[in-house]
Amino acid sequence: MKFVCMSSEIKPGEAKRVEVDGRAPLAVFNLDGKFFVTDDTCTHGDASLCDGEIDGDVVECPYHQGAFEIATGKPAGAPCTIPLRTYATQVTEGQVFARLDGEDGNADRQA
Amino acid sequence: MPTVKLDASEISFDCAPGDSMLRSALRHGIGFPYECGVGACGTCKFELLSGAVDSLWAEATGLSERDRKKGRHLGCQAIPLETCSVKVRLDDHCRPEIIPVRRKVAFTGYRDITHDIREFTFVGGDRADFLPGQFALLTLPQVAGDRAYSMANLANDKGEWKFQVRRHPDGSATTLLFDGLAPGQEIFLDAPYGMAYLRTDSSRDIVCISGGSGIAPMLSIAQGKARDERLAEKSLHFFFGGRTPADICGEDILRDLPGYGSKLHYYAAVSDADAAHGWPGPVGLIHELVASKLKEALAAYEFYLAGPPPMIQAVQNLLVSEHKVPSSQIHFDRFF
Repeated sequence: MKFVCMSSEIKPGEAKRVEVDGRAPLAVFNLDGKFFVTDDTCTHGDASLCDGEIDGDVVECPYHQGAFEIATGKPAGAPCTIPLRTYATQVTEGQVFARLDGEDGNADRQA
Repeated sequence: MPTVKLDASEISFDCAPGDSMLRSALRHGIGFPYECGVGACGTCKFELLSGAVDSLWAEATGLSERDRKKGRHLGCQAIPLETCSVKVRLDDHCRPEIIPVRRKVAFTGYRDITHDIREFTFVGGDRADFLPGQFALLTLPQVAGDRAYSMANLANDKGEWKFQVRRHPDGSATTLLFDGLAPGQEIFLDAPYGMAYLRTDSSRDIVCISGGSGIAPMLSIAQGKARDERLAEKSLHFFFGGRTPADICGEDILRDLPGYGSKLHYYAAVSDADAAHGWPGPVGLIHELVASKLKEALAAYEFYLAGPPPMIQAVQNLLVSEHKVPSSQIHFDRFF
């Protein structure tokens, strides 16, 4: 597991864009105190999902209002059809950790 | 004439009566976002801040319940009724290179390509102007909603538009085209549209991948490449997938092009092993053949795709997920 950010950096219902190890940016979501880590770049266009709107358990892309389920990465609104990559997430003592590529390869990729 | 004003910008444009917001914007050279043009993909969503629009297709699949609740509409289905103020994020990629025009064209003939794909020719009074790989929106008599078909030929001064269409037994549009058109009959054709056109400024070799009637825009791209001096040094690999040997087509057209065998290569696969007896070529899905035939790393090529959604999905998975091909090198328009 890799340290991503402090949980106190993100208010409930909000998201933060985080860059770790020079990889593509991640989005960290706080949904009512539960944390989720996904890729930040929309799978349809080159947009940051952290700039989008969080609506319940989905995030809407700011470009075309396509949507993804935050917990699973499943596309939840046109024009998005490719799942968003999600990462197993854990919060320990106020620190958000995620299992990124590496030891577990693509284990967290959504089919 | 209703005017559309784009929120947070100085941009506004007029809509001719009955013309959709999307098409009106494009006719003014404005990059209103879109892909399919027929209500399915959801790319042309906008928020209506004031004014009123009529919808050509209220149940359009490109809008979710959440979209409807938030007052969103589809640019391709919305007909402005009065001055409207809308919120939409313009996309420079969608700014048309050639301004689309709606005109009358006459049906002049057809030829069969396979047992279920037929090429239809229409002729208009003005130049047929489009980029290889683009599509037209056809208004057919007694068919609800316009239909998108890609051109199979190249732009020309004769005003000729050729489409290769696969017959769907229950489809009202294909039934009309195959059985209901008399020679000389006129329809409306609005073109060109689409962003999956041949890039002449790319320094990469080209790969075209298609299945079914998706072959039409790929044939246009192959012809465009073969006739473009800027791409003379580039190779083009043409992949076509069918279910049975009877579905395989396209090689005859490629064979007549300059560079066939040296710069133009054709590969086909059939997917139904039970129907493949007598077929000398590979059996399997077309994306598997792509991965095995291309010599360079896949990220070294420029890709053009057209075909049924499951094929597009499989190719995208191969290219984007497995081989990290940047999406800016993959060109396709989504049809459903």
